[in-house]
Amino acid sequence: MSDITVDVAVIGAGPAGIAAGVGAKKAGAERVVIFERDWDLGGILQQCIHPGFGLHIFGEELTGPEYMHRWISKAREVGVEFLMNSMVFHMEDDGSFWIMNPSLGIKKVTPKSVVLAMGCRERPLGALGIPGTRPAGIYTAGTAQRLVNMEGYMPGNKVVILGSGDVGLIMARRMIWEGAEVLGVYEIMPWPGGLRRNIAQCLDDYGIPFHLEETVVEIHGKDRLEGVTVAKVDMNRKPIVGTERLVGCDTLLLAVGLIPENELSRMAGVAINPVTQGPYVNELLQTSKPKIFAAGNVVIVYDLVDWVSKEGERAGKNAALFAAGELKEPARKIKILGGSNVRLYSPQWLSGQADATIYMRVAQPIEKRCKVIVEPGAYEKQLRYARPGEMSEVQIKAEYVQSLGDVAEILVDIREA
Amino acid sequence: MHLRLCLSPFLNCFTGYKVFGGDFVSTRYYDVIVIGGGIVGSTVARELSRYDIKVAVLDKASELPSGASRANSGMVHAGYDDEPGSIKAQFCPKGNLIYKNLREELDFTLNEVGSYVCALDKDEIAHLELLLEQGKKNGVPSVEIISGDELRSREPNASREIIAALWAPTGCTINNFEAVLAFMDNAQQNGVELFLETEMLDVILSQDKRQVVGVKTNRGMFLSPIVINAAGVHSDEVARMVGDDSFIIHPRRGDYFISDKYVGNLVKSFFFACPSEAGKGITVASTTDHNLLMGPTSIFQVDRNKTATTAEGLDQVIEGARRLIPPIPINMAITTFAGLRADPDTGDFVIGILKKPHGFVNVAGIKSPGFTSAPAIAQHIVERMKNELKDLVEFKPNRKFVPERRHIPRFAYLSMEERSDLAKEDPRYAQIVCRCESVTEGQVIEAIRRGARTVAAVKIWTRAGAGRCQGGFCGPRVIDILARELNIPREEVTRHGGHSRMLVGKTKEYWFREGRL
Repeated sequence: MSDITVDVAVIGAGPAGIAAGVGAKKAGAERVVIFERDWDLGGILQQCIHPGFGLHIFGEELTGPEYMHRWISKAREVGVEFLMNSMVFHMEDDGSFWIMNPSLGIKKVTPKSVVLAMGCRERPLGALGIPGTRPAGIYTAGTAQRLVNMEGYMPGNKVVILGSGDVGLIMARRMIWEGAEVLGVYEIMPWPGGLRRNIAQCLDDYGIPFHLEETVVEIHGKDRLEGVTVAKVDMNRKPIVGTERLVGCDTLLLAVGLIPENELSRMAGVAINPVTQGPYVNELLQTSKPKIFAAGNVVIVYDLVDWVSKEGERAGKNAALFAAGELKEPARKIKILGGSNVRLYSPQWLSGQADATIYMRVAQPIEKRCKVIVEPGAYEKQLRYARPGEMSEVQIKAEYVQSLGDVAEILVDIREA
Repeated sequence: MHLRLCLSPFLNCFTGYKVFGGDFVSTRYYDVIVIGGGIVGSTVARELSRYDIKVAVLDKASELPSGASRANSGMVHAGYDDEPGSIKAQFCPKGNLIYKNLREELDFTLNEVGSYVCALDKDEIAHLELLLEQGKKNGVPSVEIISGDELRSREPNASREIIAALWAPTGCTINNFEAVLAFMDNAQQNGVELFLETEMLDVILSQDKRQVVGVKTNRGMFLSPIVINAAGVHSDEVARMVGDDSFIIHPRRGDYFISDKYVGNLVKSFFFACPSEAGKGITVASTTDHNLLMGPTSIFQVDRNKTATTAEGLDQVIEGARRLIPPIPINMAITTFAGLRADPDTGDFVIGILKKPHGFVNVAGIKSPGFTSAPAIAQHIVERMKNELKDLVEFKPNRKFVPERRHIPRFAYLSMEERSDLAKEDPRYAQIVCRCESVTEGQVIEAIRRGARTVAAVKIWTRAGAGRCQGGFCGPRVIDILARELNIPREEVTRHGGHSRMLVGKTKEYWFREGRL
């Protein structure tokens, strides 16, 4: 069990992790190694074969694999090392961790700094407490996407989709292309969970019925799924008696939310925000453990991969500075508070050492001109609209934070203009 | 047709343990046939494997355990619940002891966490006193009543409303999957043959109907002079096949929640509400794998096969669980399930050897505390069979009997050194399959070698897919490994046998169907 020593260790070779590797290398770190549990690089984007990635970073619409290919080439150019098929399964609170790999066996890795980039996972059926049987044919949308796009297998023929997260919307279209019947998408909330453009391009263009404020209330079938009962819900998201109807189907795909995957972070004692379910971070993407940084969907679930890559680079850069002993102890620690219409936001702290980007998701949609406000004073940003399925962001200059004097907290909110 | 397609390869590829599926043409001959491979069937099978006789266990499911032994609270009861003098009271404390003694030998997980019965008002305290009295009479060690404050000093998350509790330190949590597998695994190692997906259709009797001859199944005849009825929720149906209508089973459904592990430490011991007519009430416990288990409800239903949860049932569970442990958060669930208890109308276990037909043995109606009692019942009934049925079968000791067996290595619970050694020995133990529960490919392959044939069986053996993502990541990997190891196409891998196929075909097939292009 000899040790592996590295300067910056990155856990996960998805968009956040690879960008972190690039960022760390560019900032001068000597040995940067990305540990990946899969056989291939790219994380979830390997299976996202539809276009729509990279508009902000590359100025063109790429597929997931194309987008990752550019980043992987960049990482190879700057000399990032990869260790594939290596599951990090235990992390100590000093940031050292254990990996397992069939050819290396069990190894301990002791890095000078770590970037957590494990991404997120899909919420399973069990988390919803839907009554009924538990037959075959119930998949999360991402698992179905892997089966169809990477393994070449069909999970089913007559499909109902519960939840309108982006992966679910993309899979609705994908299943139609493969000859399956998609009977409808059911969303318990009054607004879609995913991007507006995906509603248009994946549902509307294919005539797939989209039912807002409806949900699945019972599951039928002993061996294979035979049908689901759907019902309308009231304002408290409780099913309305008398609105139930049976939809015959052999497959139920779930797109009911993504949860940051923070088992390792918790093992290492990193403080986790119960709302985002990701680590508390400052604008350097440093967690409550100074040596440990985090970026991407492990921190907060993003809507666009471009933001994930940008944040990954930022975390990598700061991790490299930390490894070189060049990152100062933050002189200031200003807490960011979310206003009444900000459901999720990250970072939660500012140190004033660098310019910051605050990413937010609103609780209630605002379908007209609105603004991001940062109090006290100084900051305002105009938005055309704000929707829970899409993130809003605001840039904050380091000088602003330094100019705050004795202020211990700032507030961000999104309000009607 | 479908079943034959999907199961016939199992016969060819099988090397290690004797698990059979597929159609039989020829009749098979045994000394004893056990109907049902739940905890009762498997403990009886292991007891029988001490003798030099040919034993077959038949179960209609595709994986063990499948019925009430799969879907229950995972509790080894202390034994204070049962009326002194009842059959239950006779076997429960004994069973509790046997599990503790066999834990090392059979390598299943059992945690001696103790249990509390909680009283929320004066009437319930009176009930605790009754339970205390019963416990003493039944020979349950160290039961006592403690105050609510004392309870909360030990269990800080217990409700303020609890005014007293009955503490029974001998209550344990058990991994019920592992326990059933352990007994059956060991029985198989000692020569017992297990037939899955084998549904008994009738008992064959001699012409004068005085003697058991065997059973008829969907896979042909199994002839044997002794048939043991351990058919759980179906045991009265089996008894009626030989004309025994002395008891009726009323299936009583229990709905459960399993939580994410992050709330698994809310309690240390097993919590019971004060029992009522309907059963032991909603319980809260930390399972052997540190998930929180909440349930069961107790609802009579007619259907003996339907294990669907209901909205009312699940609501009742959450409400009941929060009454005992208020900090249980919402959105903590990772899965729900329902089990059917085999509740006999006699109110007690139905254990006996029939006079007519000769050779028919009932081990039926083994409702709570059935899981706890099973190993004691097994010892008792096999002892009786040796005397009362010696004219049918000679119970000579099996000199090759090996009492020990090991479970598949539990990678998640090994030390770093043990993991490292295992990985060096077989690199497949360093290949992760299930990320949530740290299950490796080596474990999955070993489960298949020991007879796992479905996605559910792999989960029961190894916990792959039992974690918080419920198979989201490992599902496709497990399908792959099953298909590869069993040498079948991936489309023929099922979730739990029968028609529960995981995949319906390959992509692009649609475009090549007739008339499309």
